[in-house]
Amino acid sequence: MKTPEVPAVEQTPTNGLDGFSAAAAAMILFEDVTKIYEPDVAALNAVSFVIEKGEFVFIVGASGSGKSTLVRLLLKELEATQGRIFVGGRDLGRLKRGKVPMLRRNIGCVFQDFKLLSDRTAYENVAYALRVQGESRNAIRRKVPEVLSLVGLADKMTSYPDQLSGGEQQRVSIARAVVNHPPLLVCDEPTGNLDPDTSVGIMQLLYRINRSGTTILMVTHDREMVDKMRRRVIGLEEGRLARDERRGGYESE
Amino acid sequence: MRLRIVLAEAWRSLAANASTTIAATMTVLIGMFLLGLSIGLGSWVLSWSNHVKRELVVDVYFCTKLTCGNDATKSQEEKIANMLSSMGEVKEVQFISKAEALQMMEKKSPELTKGLPSNPLPDALKVLPNRAEDIEKIAAAVPSSGATGVEKVDYGKKTAKRILRVARVIEIVFLLAVIVLLAASTLLIANTIRLSIFARRREIEVMKLVGATNWFVRGPFMLEGLICGIAGAALAVVLLLLGKTIALPAILGQIDDSSDAQALAFLWNAAILIGFGLLLGAAGSGFTIRRFLKV
Repeated sequence: MKTPEVPAVEQTPTNGLDGFSAAAAAMILFEDVTKIYEPDVAALNAVSFVIEKGEFVFIVGASGSGKSTLVRLLLKELEATQGRIFVGGRDLGRLKRGKVPMLRRNIGCVFQDFKLLSDRTAYENVAYALRVQGESRNAIRRKVPEVLSLVGLADKMTSYPDQLSGGEQQRVSIARAVVNHPPLLVCDEPTGNLDPDTSVGIMQLLYRINRSGTTILMVTHDREMVDKMRRRVIGLEEGRLARDERRGGYESE
Repeated sequence: MRLRIVLAEAWRSLAANASTTIAATMTVLIGMFLLGLSIGLGSWVLSWSNHVKRELVVDVYFCTKLTCGNDATKSQEEKIANMLSSMGEVKEVQFISKAEALQMMEKKSPELTKGLPSNPLPDALKVLPNRAEDIEKIAAAVPSSGATGVEKVDYGKKTAKRILRVARVIEIVFLLAVIVLLAASTLLIANTIRLSIFARRREIEVMKLVGATNWFVRGPFMLEGLICGIAGAALAVVLLLLGKTIALPAILGQIDDSSDAQALAFLWNAAILIGFGLLLGAAGSGFTIRRFLKV
């Protein structure tokens, strides 16, 4: 798939972030984070790392190594058993339940299974995220076509998910995740369901989004991709931080 | 603005999930129709049994020459009348003289009283109880007071007991019917709503992930429930109204219409149904969705 010729939209660091402190140096900070599932399964064990603003980080590891738990902790779907997690300068452990929606508005999410609503068009799926956040109709009418052309789907706005290919569906879900310019984009195996060529297109898109200033944390199994991109790699093994390399490959060297 | 979004989302999902919408509305309709029916019938039967109970009285007949050999004296009669009116269970004591009694009898069955040489009827007291259940106690008070000059105390022992028993049974059955119907329709509606929410878990998951507040997620669902509830209840009211104007006169033609038994006013009945419909719809979906909000 060829990369669409769309200029990367200038992503202004989001204003009015409600909790995302501009002064905070790090985007994500894990401090000795342990997550134990009842009764005694330790999914994460004393994991610490820092992700700076604007970084592109891969999280790799075998199934059951704690990658998904890490993502769910970031979204405050789960609470850490021990340790502290900061996202955008906010201590998640002290974030009130009512503030969780605000947290999630600042974190774009992309999943392996896209999580699109099948009874809505690509346009409506993206617009939906904005409406949920209380955007005005004018802003929605302006932003949605803009972001859909950014991901290269300007001509598929009225298509329903089942009329789109897997790669196109993932592009819609990326558009939905970044339409509000979140400072952080979390991708949980975004290329897991896609063939290698399509995956390359998706990675190029993510790379462009990252270049415009968005911090990207990507959980993946895609060995080739990690090896090719040569970005920072955080490796998990059985819940422990096994390695953290500046320009790593899928396997430790 | 936000209200418009909630309205639009609710309308959208009502239309998109037509089958569950119809199922939920029908459930409310059936539940509310049965509830309305049992309120109408039940309140009519209750009022009828009250009416019958009101006819339960204690009759005290005083002595006459024919029965005891001596007429009861005025002071004997007054003593008993005073004793009865001072009882807490007694509502009213009416004195019926033998002359009045004869007049009533002449009216009722003239051929019996024709050609009577003298008035054979005794003076009597008609005692109305506060509660129909107390008539036995009132009747027993007369002989146990040791008063003289009384020939007979009558309170239609067997009939009274039967009427009281029937009335009690009716009250209990009516209450049970209403409770069972309410419980059944609540469960049915909760179930229907759970099904519709279950079918849309994915939508809720996505909403939560893109940062919708709990109220934003809940709003459309509750509004949907509300709409189903109102629609079902309104349809039930229409059906009941049809039944009342078409079916009831046909049946009532064979029922003795002389009693002053009255069903609960239809407007009240309708208001109760609509109210319950609203409550069931909104509360049902509100409670059911809570489980799904913890994403």
